[in-house]
Amino acid sequence: MATKFNLNRQPVPDEEINSHKDFGELVNKFKKQSIEKARSDASFLKNKKATYSAIIAGVAVICTVTYFAVFKKEPPKETNHDKIATSQQNNKNTPNTKLNKAFIAPPISKLNVPYTSYKVKAEQGATLTHKTNSKIIIPKKAFVNKQGQDIIGDVEITYREFHNQADIITSGIPMTYDSAGVQSTLESAGMLDIRGYQNGEPVYINPKKQITVEFQSEHTADRYNMYVLDTVAKNWVYVGRDNSLKGQKHEPLKTTTSDISSEKTVSPKTIELQKKLDAIPPKIEAEKVVYTKKVNQLPKVATPTKPTKATAGRPQFELDVNYKEFPELEAFKNAIFEVGAENKNYSSTLADVTWSSAEVSEGPVKGKNYLLTLKLRERVEKLIVYPALTGADYGKALKSYESKFSDYKTAVAKREADEKRLKEEFEAKQVAFATEQKAITKQMIEERIRWQKEQEEQLNRQFQSINNQEKVTRVFNVTSFGICNSDCPTSMPQGEKMTPIFTINNSDTFIRSEQTYLVCHSKNVVYNFYNPPISYDPKDTYSLCVLSNGKLYLCDKTQLGTCFTNKQNKIPVKEISSDVNDSYELKKALGI
Amino acid sequence: MLLDAVHMEFSPRYHHTADMLLDEQMIIEAAKQNPEHFGPLYDKYYKQIFGYVYQRMDDKDTAFDLTAQVFLKALTNIEKYEYKGVPFASWLYRIAHSEVMQLFRNNSKLRTVNADISDLRNICEEVEEEYMEQYKGILMTVIKDLPEDELQLIELRFFEKRAFKEIAEILNLTETNAKVKLYRILERVKKTLTKKSK
Repeated sequence: MATKFNLNRQPVPDEEINSHKDFGELVNKFKKQSIEKARSDASFLKNKKATYSAIIAGVAVICTVTYFAVFKKEPPKETNHDKIATSQQNNKNTPNTKLNKAFIAPPISKLNVPYTSYKVKAEQGATLTHKTNSKIIIPKKAFVNKQGQDIIGDVEITYREFHNQADIITSGIPMTYDSAGVQSTLESAGMLDIRGYQNGEPVYINPKKQITVEFQSEHTADRYNMYVLDTVAKNWVYVGRDNSLKGQKHEPLKTTTSDISSEKTVSPKTIELQKKLDAIPPKIEAEKVVYTKKVNQLPKVATPTKPTKATAGRPQFELDVNYKEFPELEAFKNAIFEVGAENKNYSSTLADVTWSSAEVSEGPVKGKNYLLTLKLRERVEKLIVYPALTGADYGKALKSYESKFSDYKTAVAKREADEKRLKEEFEAKQVAFATEQKAITKQMIEERIRWQKEQEEQLNRQFQSINNQEKVTRVFNVTSFGICNSDCPTSMPQGEKMTPIFTINNSDTFIRSEQTYLVCHSKNVVYNFYNPPISYDPKDTYSLCVLSNGKLYLCDKTQLGTCFTNKQNKIPVKEISSDVNDSYELKKALGI
Repeated sequence: MLLDAVHMEFSPRYHHTADMLLDEQMIIEAAKQNPEHFGPLYDKYYKQIFGYVYQRMDDKDTAFDLTAQVFLKALTNIEKYEYKGVPFASWLYRIAHSEVMQLFRNNSKLRTVNADISDLRNICEEVEEEYMEQYKGILMTVIKDLPEDELQLIELRFFEKRAFKEIAEILNLTETNAKVKLYRILERVKKTLTKKSK
């Protein structure tokens, strides 16, 4: 479509521009983004209450933990503790902390390769057999704390392996290797991530010891080197040639799952259930408000006033009363007002005065007596008066009262019945809420169990598929916790270049790629492109993943092959992050 | 051809004294430590960046969204920012440029050229042609059919009235290179005008 040309377009008024300025929103977005990155980088740091600053601090610690010198055969010249102190000091004074957080960034956290957790008695050591049949050999007294002191008691070892392109993508571990300014991508023969904790605190490998991992690799070629990931320098550190290769037939897969850690991620269903559960207390509160409102809305029943018979000999006034103002006096039609005995100021002379005004207002006992205010120029007299009836009026009023009292009793009974009904309804709803809470809690527990089981099964499936392949053992000598890799650098693919435009399912909906993963099918390598163009070897086979707005999209090898062959840069992709639940399923989707 | 265009008024907003640059640098260093300190830079450059983005499209809402995205990227990457003796704006413009280009790569329909008649007159003057009404349509066609990198140069120079130093910073070119490229584009524009007006 041709570019549109506007002549003399109206400028946007400053007020409108300023109305879109929202620095607070910008900072909030930035903090949210930083926290998300921190969480995804350090998946083992799952404290939901961790604040933004706490995560920054946490990442500093993680960085130091991963700053290691694995495979160094000679004794290290400085203790791990020394390294930690130095590194932490540096992190405090340099602005790179936040960048380190983003260094390992799983694109979709739910797909991230989970850790398996093992418990080891530090003073005894152990040989652990991972699901893949890899062996983790931990010698006695292999751990020290940050003061460099030997650790005794249980140590938690968390461990995971990365075998294929799907694992590489989902882990977010950068595979770019910078060697003296020359950038290449690492082709992996297998990668592992191992960490140690005691009571949630990281522990360190004793400088005089090393952990040996006999890694079951499905890549049998003999062209790989050993590297460790330095998360401070943000580069892989070459350790040496991988001479550890020894052929080995894999034993049948052991499928016990007791040592699988409770993976800290939760299923989408659990999140939904939690939302439902969280929604109940507000409903309970709302129901209380509704109940109170309904009760208050029930018709009020006014007690009818019983007429009083006039007392002979008491001083009386005849008054013209506004019955609208004093409806309770309806029962006293034609009433006279007797002067109460409490009026010490009353004298019979008051009756001789022609008062210019006489006003009745509420008395000290509402509904029973009234205040009569008599005025003549400056003179004001106040008397407490009581309504009373005489003769036939009294008889008539009494009859009316008895009828009203009967209605009153009926109304009271009805109100009590209504109140009871509302209370029962309210209590029934509260019981229903409590039952719902209980049921959801039960479902959540079941879902957690199901989710854990599913994860275990996925792990097993994944490992089973690895297990069916020819294997070799690669020996990693780990002298510090972190990520180790058996790789060989490979240059970016060459031959053709393309600036791709990604469309969802061949529609007119375009997506903007934040990161493009070109998955090579002929070797275990994923080429990352952050900006176009992408390059590819037309003789090779690839599939492609695109990360956009927190979603992962896929173009499979057939479609991508067609695009490459036709040099068609409009590449159709489909969203897979909602269908795919782990790296094993991603592997299947990629067709590798 | 008057590439330095003494008769055209260029925006002075890019110009910063040494003291201004130093002040700005201090704010940037503070913002690297604490994102809350980014505020003065946000306030200072928001309108400029929005102007740059909106200049290239029709949809105001998209322009506001993209402007927000530019500042979020800037804040996210501020630790990577290295002071090179030029205003912070140049870095922001480069982010904005990259974001805008990315958007157009994904949806070319959004691309729009916005100019005033006076801008077209300026181009005519630049190529030493007297502006005539018939040139309007020719110029609009020629400009909108330019390749993106050439269109950028015309936009930055004539429609946004930016100095070559600033243009060079935004497009990551040397000042001389920017001038030479623009000179060549104007040469072609002149030829087209001459040819089509006959």
